[in-house]
Amino acid sequence: MTGNELLRVEHLTKKFGGLTVLDDISTSFSAHEVVSVIGPSGGGKSTFLRCLNLLEVPTSGRILFDGDDICAKGTDINVHRQKMGMVFQQFNLFNNMNVLKNMTAAPVKILRMPEEAAKEKALSLVRRVGLEDKLNAYPSQLSGGQKQRIAIVRALMMDPEVMLFDEPTSALDPEMIGEVLEVMKQLAESGMTMIVVTHEMRFAREVSSRTLFLDGGVIAEDKPSHELFDHPESPRLISFLQKVL
Amino acid sequence: MFFETVWKLITRYGNFFFEGLRNTLLIAIMAVALGTVLGALMALCRMSNIKPLRWLATAYIEFFRGTPLMVQLMFIFYGLPMIGISFPEISFIPDFQRFMAGIVAMSLNSCAYVAEVIRSGIQAVDPGQMEAARSLGFKKGEAMKMVVLPQAIKNILPALGNEFVTVIKESSVVSVIGIADLMFRTNGVKAKTYSTLECLFVAALLYFVTTFVFSKLVSLMERRMSHDRK
Repeated sequence: MTGNELLRVEHLTKKFGGLTVLDDISTSFSAHEVVSVIGPSGGGKSTFLRCLNLLEVPTSGRILFDGDDICAKGTDINVHRQKMGMVFQQFNLFNNMNVLKNMTAAPVKILRMPEEAAKEKALSLVRRVGLEDKLNAYPSQLSGGQKQRIAIVRALMMDPEVMLFDEPTSALDPEMIGEVLEVMKQLAESGMTMIVVTHEMRFAREVSSRTLFLDGGVIAEDKPSHELFDHPESPRLISFLQKVL
Repeated sequence: MFFETVWKLITRYGNFFFEGLRNTLLIAIMAVALGTVLGALMALCRMSNIKPLRWLATAYIEFFRGTPLMVQLMFIFYGLPMIGISFPEISFIPDFQRFMAGIVAMSLNSCAYVAEVIRSGIQAVDPGQMEAARSLGFKKGEAMKMVVLPQAIKNILPALGNEFVTVIKESSVVSVIGIADLMFRTNGVKAKTYSTLECLFVAALLYFVTTFVFSKLVSLMERRMSHDRK
């Protein structure tokens, strides 16, 4: 397990003013692992995920990605972010670009991928999510589920080593949740390392190999998913699961 | 009777009024053009991470928005020469000194308003757009250029058009330092003909037609942009 460790979090603390949102969290993620992060709202799930690619800057602690401390002074976070895909609750497709441009902008500008190659790659990826007819559409012309599927493949264009999902289905109408989860499931099966903040307990239980229960700024439980759901230990987790299941 | 006099004023002093209108537009265009360039820089400073820069820009904006344009204008035209700062007189451009003072005052004033227009236009873009770009590995400047600004421009351009309309009207104060703008010319005709009401009516009409045409153009532009993909 430690041999192919990809991401390591050491004593991560995040405070907003006087409020401690994350309190001395330590954990690690191995390559090809799919980990769900669950917990009550306000428990720090999203902040935890956003700290991993420094969209939130930790107050203290270290985050090691591929062995590099990305919080260290002098680290170029942009280089690391290229290898960490992120999917947002609100999709955040670039409104001023069509789907193709959304997907090719980063690889062409940042990785200097030739325009043609990027286009081909985009085409093969949109086929995988069944949206090849939407390449020229603008985000405002897509449904929520379609936007989120595009957002996922946009992140995949960079060939990331890990994918971070921040409540990817929370802003979707119920009938669109399935299509997004299906794409995520395929991605998990293909061996992608994934860290997923989610309210979808079925996804956490069936797709992810490990689940973290984050509550009050600490990891209250961290276990293989089946074990966590079948034998919750802490009273907080038991009452949380009773409410959501 | 009233309209008869108005008509007489237009036929006899039409050129006189139109020259004034031309100068008014000239000053307004220069002021907004310069104000936009300076305002863009000012907005950048205002949003900068460098604290002294941000502080200076904020102070500038607050000061120029919080004092009357008339005071700023007089400060530049009458005040600064007292300490030896004035624009040169150029023989082949009549009234160069006055015009420059007028344009500079209007530009500095407009700059403060434009800076706020640009800042609020940028900040109205969903912060998620910037975050998504950053998460892909774009640097802040690149993300600004590729994602945020193209969306912000749709908020900024119509507001800039409205600023132009405002400046056309506000520019009437430059008549107090003797620039031959529409207001100055109106006063001239008034003194000559004693037709106070009719002269002011002609001036108001010319100002109104000009600003009305521009604000219609602006709302047309606004509609075109919102019909575009969002």
